[in-house]
Amino acid sequence: MFSTGFKYFLGVTVLSIAALIMSLFVLDQVAIAGVAISMLIVVTALLAGIAVVTRDGQTTTSTPDASNELASQSMWPLVTSIGVVLLALGLVTSSIVFFTGVIVLLAALAEWMIQSWSERASKDKNYNAAARKRVLNPIEFPVLAALGLGVVIYSFSRIMLTVNKTTGATLFIVFGALVLIAGILFAVKPELKRSLVVAICVFGAVGIFTAGVISATSGVREELVAAKAESHELPECGAERSEHFDKEATGTLSLRSSVSATIELLDGKLTAQVVGFNKPQNTVTVRRSTPTSLIFRNLDAKEYRLVAELGTRTLVEPEGATEKNLVCTQLTAQGSEQLLLLDIAKSPKAGTSYSLTVPGVEGQSIELVVP
Amino acid sequence: MTSVWIMLVKKSRAILGFAAISIVAASCGTNAPQDTWQPKGPNSKIIDDLQRPVFAVAGIIGLIVAVAVIYTLIKYRDRGQPIPEQTHGKPALEITLTIIPALILAVVAVFTFGAIFKLAKTDDTEMIINVTGQQWWWEYDYPTQNEFGITQPIISSGQLVMPVGTKVLLRETSRDVIHSYWIPALNGKRDAVPGRVQTLRLEADAPGIYAGQCTEFCGLSHANMRMEAVALSKADFAKWVANQQAAYVAPAKDSLAQQGEEVFLNQCVRCHQVNGLMRADGTPAIAAPDENVWSGSAPNLTHLMSRNTFAGASFDLLSKQCRDEVWNAPSDVVGTKYLAGVTEECLNQKDLRSWLRNAPAMLPMYANATQLKATGGKYRGMPYLALTEDDISKLVAYLLTLK
Repeated sequence: MFSTGFKYFLGVTVLSIAALIMSLFVLDQVAIAGVAISMLIVVTALLAGIAVVTRDGQTTTSTPDASNELASQSMWPLVTSIGVVLLALGLVTSSIVFFTGVIVLLAALAEWMIQSWSERASKDKNYNAAARKRVLNPIEFPVLAALGLGVVIYSFSRIMLTVNKTTGATLFIVFGALVLIAGILFAVKPELKRSLVVAICVFGAVGIFTAGVISATSGVREELVAAKAESHELPECGAERSEHFDKEATGTLSLRSSVSATIELLDGKLTAQVVGFNKPQNTVTVRRSTPTSLIFRNLDAKEYRLVAELGTRTLVEPEGATEKNLVCTQLTAQGSEQLLLLDIAKSPKAGTSYSLTVPGVEGQSIELVVP
Repeated sequence: MTSVWIMLVKKSRAILGFAAISIVAASCGTNAPQDTWQPKGPNSKIIDDLQRPVFAVAGIIGLIVAVAVIYTLIKYRDRGQPIPEQTHGKPALEITLTIIPALILAVVAVFTFGAIFKLAKTDDTEMIINVTGQQWWWEYDYPTQNEFGITQPIISSGQLVMPVGTKVLLRETSRDVIHSYWIPALNGKRDAVPGRVQTLRLEADAPGIYAGQCTEFCGLSHANMRMEAVALSKADFAKWVANQQAAYVAPAKDSLAQQGEEVFLNQCVRCHQVNGLMRADGTPAIAAPDENVWSGSAPNLTHLMSRNTFAGASFDLLSKQCRDEVWNAPSDVVGTKYLAGVTEECLNQKDLRSWLRNAPAMLPMYANATQLKATGGKYRGMPYLALTEDDISKLVAYLLTLK
């Protein structure tokens, strides 16, 4: 009496209604989810209605008869069980495992369901196979392509993190050139054998994957390890050096275009060139709760750093203890520049002030005014 | 069917006619403080000198095109005649019709670039004012500038006060989203972008108050984000500066205002700073808007009653009659009237009390404490404070002392 399509869409509608009711209890903000699920209910109910009225599109009698053969062997039950295991493991280990399990489970269930349906669609195996492809290929091809590309890109990134900078740049050029050459070859020689094209692509992908695995096991290059281990807080803002920082930080357009002032050290004298003022200033106004960029330009012979002294801050431990609140640039060589980013929430307490100083340069400071 | 069609045509004619009359009538408005055709300073005159000829040329071209289209529509309308011979390509005509607009645009571009470069100049700046936008008000702070008597930073909001005949450079930025600063009588627009400092020149020829409006959609109360530039004579500006730098005067002992100061210390000082205000233990009351407000800032209320607006510039502190007296004053007395500030008689009690009673009811804001997950519990705008009528009266009395 009821067609298969009707039963399918009716099932989805009922599940959607259940999901809507659940979302009302589970989610805090149901506006978007509620609308989405409601639309799904409307659409699937409509499709169910159409399916029952049209008897699933009035299937012609020319369709091959339904199959009575047993289903063939399938790997999907196994994959499904792996998905369930991953899902359960993920609940007690990490969210990555959990979500991997969810993805594997959903993918396996979809594949299994479509395969079961297609194998019983008719007695004609070719027809069944074509039916399966028609449903699943539009999903499988993009997903597999994305996965393949993801693996290649990730492997390549591992290689770049392992080799030194020069080798990395060279590899990048070589790899880019090879891709370009392969692309030109495929374009100008359309008559190339399909197996040859596939072989070139697979060979390249496997090569990168293998190199990626080797790189990942050997670890990232030493200087990156050192940079990661190094403190970026520079709590003392003293004479300590750092070799691993972005020396081109002040060269970025976004920072260059929004600098409030340039603090210049020349002949032991500190001055501020503030945007809008035509003469050097000895105060810099910084707005509260507003990220403010200052450039420190060292024109003296020795290496110096600019330090913003922003009063004191209270420590969590030991309770009630305070320490100097300092923000500073890296040590800056002669003729070089460094960026100092300030974000000050409050004016200084009565009787105190904020200032910019350069350790090693006595008697020079610029007042930071926070109105 | 035909009768329905005729009715629709007749109705659409009526609607079009009504729209045309509305547009013409709107252009006759005289009370238009944000009129872009009335420049009041050299910068806006540069724009005006450019836009008038461009408008004229564009108008003439638009008229010619409109007449040509209408003439063609009528002359060659379908009367059942056979389709005429179809031809393609009239090189001479096509080249002419390409070159003429190109030449017109090239001429316009030359003058436009000239105007842009003039408006971008900063090397002749005489005064700097920092302008910071946030939802939905503008903060103005004046860095120390001894030549104008500004010996300590001045911080204000809602109204930009500037001396006439002075090349003022605004250094704009924003604390939350992109805003746009625009006082049509004094210059064009400039976006205030978080993390960037952008400059805008302003100069007023004569004393007066010039209205503006945020012109970059910035959230719920964008339409209420007004601003006003108050241009004062240099002598009046000096008086204003002196008043802004005056020390805090505590309200008289045992007065209603003193009780209001206590309410302020209990409630308002969490976000609003009043310079010089001390707590009972003798320590300065430092506001912490960064802990309560998404933008990290709330208007500094020191000398609030020297301004004519509150809540940014969304509402008037002056009653309508008093406000009209200031706005419509001749330019030689507008300064005196403005500097008189807000007296008890002129205070717009109704709006100020309503604001203190329930601010979110007056202005659309993100101030519902139950819906602040996205901002970590921080408000955008002033929340409902559940003040009693008694507290409101005390606060109003206190705020009136902030001259």
